[in-house]
Amino acid sequence: MSAVLEFDNLHYTFPGSDTPALRGASLRIEAGRRIALLGRNGAGKSTLFLHGNGILRPAAGQVRLNRRPLEYTRRGLLHVRRQVGLIFQNPDDQLFSASVRQDISFGPLNLGLSVDETRRRVAEAADLCGVSDLLDRPTHALSGGQKTRVALAGVLAMRPDILLVDEATSGLDPWMRQQVFDIFDRLVERGATVALATHDLDAAQYWADTVAVMDEGRVIAVAPSAQIFADPELRALLGPVEARGERREVRGER
Amino acid sequence: MRVIDRYAFGNALRQIDPAQKGALALLAIILCLALDRPAVGALALIWMLALTTWWARIPLRVSGRVLLTEGLFLGLSIIGIALSIGGKTPETTVVAWQIGALWISMTPESLALVTLVLTRSLGCAAALNFLILTTPLVDLIDLMRRIRLPEGLIDIMALTYRAIFVLLDCLERMTTAQDARLGYATARAAMRSAALLASQLFLTAYRRSQRAQIALESRGFDGTLRVLPLTYQRSPRVWQASIALTASLLLAGIVR
Repeated sequence: MSAVLEFDNLHYTFPGSDTPALRGASLRIEAGRRIALLGRNGAGKSTLFLHGNGILRPAAGQVRLNRRPLEYTRRGLLHVRRQVGLIFQNPDDQLFSASVRQDISFGPLNLGLSVDETRRRVAEAADLCGVSDLLDRPTHALSGGQKTRVALAGVLAMRPDILLVDEATSGLDPWMRQQVFDIFDRLVERGATVALATHDLDAAQYWADTVAVMDEGRVIAVAPSAQIFADPELRALLGPVEARGERREVRGER
Repeated sequence: MRVIDRYAFGNALRQIDPAQKGALALLAIILCLALDRPAVGALALIWMLALTTWWARIPLRVSGRVLLTEGLFLGLSIIGIALSIGGKTPETTVVAWQIGALWISMTPESLALVTLVLTRSLGCAAALNFLILTTPLVDLIDLMRRIRLPEGLIDIMALTYRAIFVLLDCLERMTTAQDARLGYATARAAMRSAALLASQLFLTAYRRSQRAQIALESRGFDGTLRVLPLTYQRSPRVWQASIALTASLLLAGIVR
């Protein structure tokens, strides 16, 4: 199950916009990695991720999953969406059902799984994300951190090999953020890949093993995190990282 | 809305099959309408309030307030039935007032009709309140899926219900932000702020729907919202309650 997702020289302009969002973005996302995608607002991180599971179709360039170009047909899209999960910044955008259990069951049922198998997947994903005791609660009664974890469970119930996370950890308190990173780590241990688009430089530096930097619709650097943060030019682009004083361990005790 | 929702999710009958609770409420409504006597309506009202209070353990304060709101609308509309206005002096009246050349009067017949309409409506309302206070919309939607109502209709209901709470949160944040900048300091400012709020909320809802669509597609959405059916308990006590209710309402409806 060593899945590889490749973005190859993608170009994309949103309808009704003059400036292209992607201008030749390339990135290779391999199995078993912790990747942080950094870049300032408007650099194209979200747009790139939306190409990752076929929501957007590049105007030029190619997205490849396991070396095969994405097929933009119903079956092709279902295939890629089973393997590439996408988590959004605002869980309220993703949680469509007022029942937590029903929301998590949506993805597995769309894969054509049986009701029994779906029940197992829901229990498994809820357990992984620590939301088992929330399954019978109404979605609108959950806190922000609980919603984020339920949204995560809703995608993980589809058992994706690659998880693209669009800033889902912003706005969470440090404790809750740690819970989410723990979930990511458990996934990576199982052989999945987590790619996190973030402004959280601490997370990029201490959680990720690979850091990709985007600017103006291109990926301008991909390297081990230490290397990225040692480069004065990239550091200047990303903003002050050590201005906060004492460094904290993001990944916690292990 | 939030109060009803809170009790719907957290009452003693939450785990009972919505089909059973729905059947009980429907039974009370049908009997109220079919037997068509004030005593039946009044008895149904007492029955349903009692079930809501002691069985579902919803405070009478809450169910009473919901019923009172409905009663208020009802009260406004039955004024028209109770009072008749005419130019002639009415013959048989309970009370009558003369204003200039006009007579406003209430006859024994109109009073009887009002009593009937009032008890019948409140009885039905209490039965419906029993259902909505003990059964969250999630369960009602699940029930509709089970009785095979059109899927498109059910999906729209499910999405709307969820969207209400998201937009309610959004509305609260926007109002607070306006209020913090003195948006509601004067009546004039309040009008302006409310208008801006309405248009902004529409835009927010629109953008949100686009993001929601993307999120749904990411999880393989193909036009139907497939979700797990929920599981419930069947309680024989609901059937017992139904039989007791039917017997007592029939008695009140037939015995003179």
